[in-house]
Amino acid sequence: MTLEDAVKETKAYYCLECGKCSGLCPVSRYNPAYSPRVMVEDALLGLEDDLVHNRQLFSCLTCYACSPKCPADVDYPLFMQKSRALAAKDGQQGDCAHSGVLQSLMRLMASPNLKQKRLEWLSNGHRTSDQSNVLYFVGCAPYFDPIFEDTGVKSLDVARDSLKILNSLGIAPKVLPNERCCGHDLLWTGDTENFRRLAELNAAAIKEAGVKKIIFSCAECYRTFKKDYPNYVKIDCELQHISEFLSEKIEKGELSFKEIKKKLTYHDPCRLGRHLGIYEPPRRVIESIPGIELVEMKDNRAESLCCGTSAFTNCDSCSKQIRVERLLQAKATGAESIITCCPKCQIHFRCAMVNKGEVKGPDVEIEVVDLVSLVAQALGGKSSE
Amino acid sequence: MAEAEFEPQIVAFTCNWCSYAAADLAGTSRVSYPPNVRLIRVMCSGMVDPIFVLKSFEKGFDGVLIAGCHIGDCHYISGNIKAEERIGKLKSLIHTLGLGDERLRLEWISTAEGGKFAETIKELVGQLKQLGPSPLRKEVRA
Amino acid sequence: MEIKTGVYICHCGINIANTVDVEHLVEAAKGWDTVAVAREYKFLCSDPGQEIIKKDIKELGLNRVVVASCSPRMHERTFRNACQQAGLNPYLFEMANIREHCSWVHSDKELATKKAEALLRAAVRRVFYHEPLETKESPVSPNTLIVGGGIAGIQAALEIADSEHKVYLVERDPSIGGHMTQLDKTFPTLDCSQCILTPKMALVGSHPYIELMTYSEVEEVSGFVGSFKVKIRKKARYVDEDKCTGCGLCQEKCPWKVDSEYNAGLGKRKAIYTPFPQAVPNIPVIDKEHCAYFLKGTCRACEKFCDIKAINFEQVDQIVEVGVGSIILTTGYDVFNPSAIAQYGYGKYDNVITGLEFERMSSATGPTGGEIRLKDGRQPKSVAIIHCVGSRDKNYHEYCSRVCCMYGLKFSHLIKEKIPDADVYQMYIDMRCFGEGYEEFYKRLCEEGVNFIRGKVARVTDRAISDEEKGKLIVQCEDTLLASLMRVPVDMVILCVALEARADAERVARMFNISRRADGFFLERHVKLDPVATPTDGVFIAGCCQAPKDIPDTVAQASAAAARALAVISKGKVILEASVATVNEALCQGCGRCEELCEFHAPKVSRKNGQLPVSTINEALCKGCGACAVFCPTGAISVKHFTRDQILAEVEALIEV
Repeated sequence: MTLEDAVKETKAYYCLECGKCSGLCPVSRYNPAYSPRVMVEDALLGLEDDLVHNRQLFSCLTCYACSPKCPADVDYPLFMQKSRALAAKDGQQGDCAHSGVLQSLMRLMASPNLKQKRLEWLSNGHRTSDQSNVLYFVGCAPYFDPIFEDTGVKSLDVARDSLKILNSLGIAPKVLPNERCCGHDLLWTGDTENFRRLAELNAAAIKEAGVKKIIFSCAECYRTFKKDYPNYVKIDCELQHISEFLSEKIEKGELSFKEIKKKLTYHDPCRLGRHLGIYEPPRRVIESIPGIELVEMKDNRAESLCCGTSAFTNCDSCSKQIRVERLLQAKATGAESIITCCPKCQIHFRCAMVNKGEVKGPDVEIEVVDLVSLVAQALGGKSSE
Repeated sequence: MAEAEFEPQIVAFTCNWCSYAAADLAGTSRVSYPPNVRLIRVMCSGMVDPIFVLKSFEKGFDGVLIAGCHIGDCHYISGNIKAEERIGKLKSLIHTLGLGDERLRLEWISTAEGGKFAETIKELVGQLKQLGPSPLRKEVRA
Repeated sequence: MEIKTGVYICHCGINIANTVDVEHLVEAAKGWDTVAVAREYKFLCSDPGQEIIKKDIKELGLNRVVVASCSPRMHERTFRNACQQAGLNPYLFEMANIREHCSWVHSDKELATKKAEALLRAAVRRVFYHEPLETKESPVSPNTLIVGGGIAGIQAALEIADSEHKVYLVERDPSIGGHMTQLDKTFPTLDCSQCILTPKMALVGSHPYIELMTYSEVEEVSGFVGSFKVKIRKKARYVDEDKCTGCGLCQEKCPWKVDSEYNAGLGKRKAIYTPFPQAVPNIPVIDKEHCAYFLKGTCRACEKFCDIKAINFEQVDQIVEVGVGSIILTTGYDVFNPSAIAQYGYGKYDNVITGLEFERMSSATGPTGGEIRLKDGRQPKSVAIIHCVGSRDKNYHEYCSRVCCMYGLKFSHLIKEKIPDADVYQMYIDMRCFGEGYEEFYKRLCEEGVNFIRGKVARVTDRAISDEEKGKLIVQCEDTLLASLMRVPVDMVILCVALEARADAERVARMFNISRRADGFFLERHVKLDPVATPTDGVFIAGCCQAPKDIPDTVAQASAAAARALAVISKGKVILEASVATVNEALCQGCGRCEELCEFHAPKVSRKNGQLPVSTINEALCKGCGACAVFCPTGAISVKHFTRDQILAEVEALIEV
């Protein structure tokens, strides 16, 4: 792939240089050095070297705040993805947060000989079945919790709660003992080689499993399987995000909840929202729980603000400011908690609340809960058993 | 690599004040140990970033040793305590990856313990031989 | 800029060359990226060896140098100097240890050569990422601040002042002297505490190099070793220090009496007072809390009788700012309040007293003129001395207070001396007589007819169960050597109370950026090898603020602290570590994890210009340990000369060979 291919494929050729994208970009708002328009301009002028060595190349959140409104219909996030692949060939990878530990784990998982022990969190209370037609795709939760311990993130609770919900609907799904990272972060930071390996390993494992349907609780995994895997591998299954699945069940009257008296707001993860257009199913699920008052933040649905970081790269002061802005929006609604459908949004929000220094940032403390944990709670019993 | 006995490759991150000096002492006192280990000098075991360890496995090392001052003797007061906590979490990641957390070892070796340094290496080499090559190794070598 | 690396491999005579194929290394290195020249030499550390490197730097324009030889702990400095002499920044040098870590520990030549090649390659790859660093110097103020005017502070102040360097001695009480002035005689030599202390106090008072600031407290400390800025509050004495002659008339005329702190509450002082007759300075203060003028607006008796008009009711607190190079903390200890142990009856029974109260009673300058008396004025005929009150007890303090055994023994002697027919009992767990002449003192006491009972006292009661016990205090304990329960009726009980950290130790520790142990005392840098320094450079500790100790140990530690402060002064400059942490402000989110975990208080999160706070590293405080860099979630912090790129380059290179 060349820069020219990238420009063609993403329709960057048609860029009018109108600057609307920069005006819409949440990053540009806090980081004036960053402009999507200038990035495209560099590419159109053939300044490949400038483009791939620009630190800002990795600042784009690929949140799709710009593209849907671009008068020339340029797919800017995809243009970033392709440009980063060029940069990665040159050894560029942006400023990896957490010293690059997450990217390293993903690359490690791309090794075919690995035999992971990623299901040790399963307890006797969880019913899974090797015979099932339905696969629950766990995602990277087993790796997140030790890394983000100091922020209080419990990603595995999302997996436990998902199983609890499926079990209560009479589904004992299959889970893959050697599931790999979906590769989302590697793809979006330009490591297409390892992304391909991960996709192939997952595709092979799923084929072997012989399932008909895959349910995801992670917005990123879902997007990657749905939109990116088809370019690399063949997955012959129905794919569904758990919010869609639950929404269906509720409509059919197969699910009923006990009352939870709470005022909540919902944060649309970019991958579920603008990337895939799924705005209403999670809201329907939340609103079907008796007692819950769902209030909307100033920016919601297609206008939703990103959680501020993507692919654990270039997580800088600009990221924090976006996050703070989003959390202040949530607090302004008077809600007790933010509900989200993406474990990474949860991680980033919680991280932004860690203020240990003497000079505290603004008060952004608010509970962050994954949709499935809320649902599990509404089903009764203890959450995350 | 022929099917001769597998020789594990080990990288050791050793703190400047204790363990690196212990390895020096092993040298000065001619205490021999297997040549499978290669040392990287850091100022403190608390300086060892998790990425150093993961990258070592990524690159195909079969084992990683982190060695620092005994608890209470840290030149920076509590660097080794921080290292201990961190290595604990890192071990759980390595375990989940299925690499076997024995591949990552933390040891306190003081300046005076040249012998202990050599013993640790011998022991680790033996252990890794039993465990076999890292699943990431062949691929890197291929 | 093109990187040109010079690679030099040392034979070290036969030390390396016998086991490692040096020629092979040279040939291999020549083929690597960035390597401009690779050479071998018999002894690179020799002058001609260094010359080769220097010549190459100049003639070939090398901008990186790698030497493969012995341990950097041996010769890193040698080669860094050589680079510097040739005009190359010494941090653009790297060493591969192929002797201690290779040729000396392996015998198989092929494998040793392979390993040496890997180590050399790692050094070459690492040095590619090196950056020139500058060591900075910072000037040193020749002044020293000493906080606390007990024997430790006095000793340290005199040591430093005698070498003609200025000392600011800050004491919170109206006089220096500390606890030692309250003691009667001191173990094991039984010399009078005041007799040995007051000459030193007088020297302090008149020393041209000591600026004595009594009735003063440190309010704020900033800066770092060599240049601390200290704000000191001089509390208003309401007496003009320049005018007062210390005649004492004001104290005589003052009609208001208050319990004397100096006499541990056993005697009275006036509202205007000097704590004791030999106070230094001999200038009284008005105790605002008890002065009738301040409370009711009338009296001013002191003012009326002061001919030289030294009384000044209008005085206000003053804030004095001083600059010092080092700080010595000698803030001493508090005594444990035994009323917490209800079963010992302190505060309930008149004749249960603490060791410090006994000291005052026994002292010739004390409220009874040295007579040992019960509350009703009678002479006690039997006394029990209870050890380990609040010490060696998990309910109170787990540690041993170190001085109680000895002062307990001393009390026995003093009682026997003054009341020869008195029965004296020592109830102890273990006799710890570890110092010079201490065991001998114990032996001597054993011969003086003191009763030793090994057992921790269970309770002190006045409930008599026999006629013999009537009107007495009964001490109940088990004599564990006889395995028999005892009831010992006595007239007086002395509690050997624990020494504990000052009640405000936490505040003081925070102010001076030092740490405390779990027991509350100040934490030394290293318990064995650096017991005087703290993790904060330039802040030293001595005496009981570090841990309970006796006078000889306190004096020795104070002198050691003085020597450390003088060493800073005599060097005249502080060389700052070049390999320190640095913050990439664009990546910093100001979360403050670094600030929270740094043992040296180097990172500080502050609001600079941007919207969010960011962390800044104080290079003078940073030791370059890297803890913050590892914890930094965004990767904003890195340690110079130990960057991720540098270490990861080594990792990659080490597996390639």
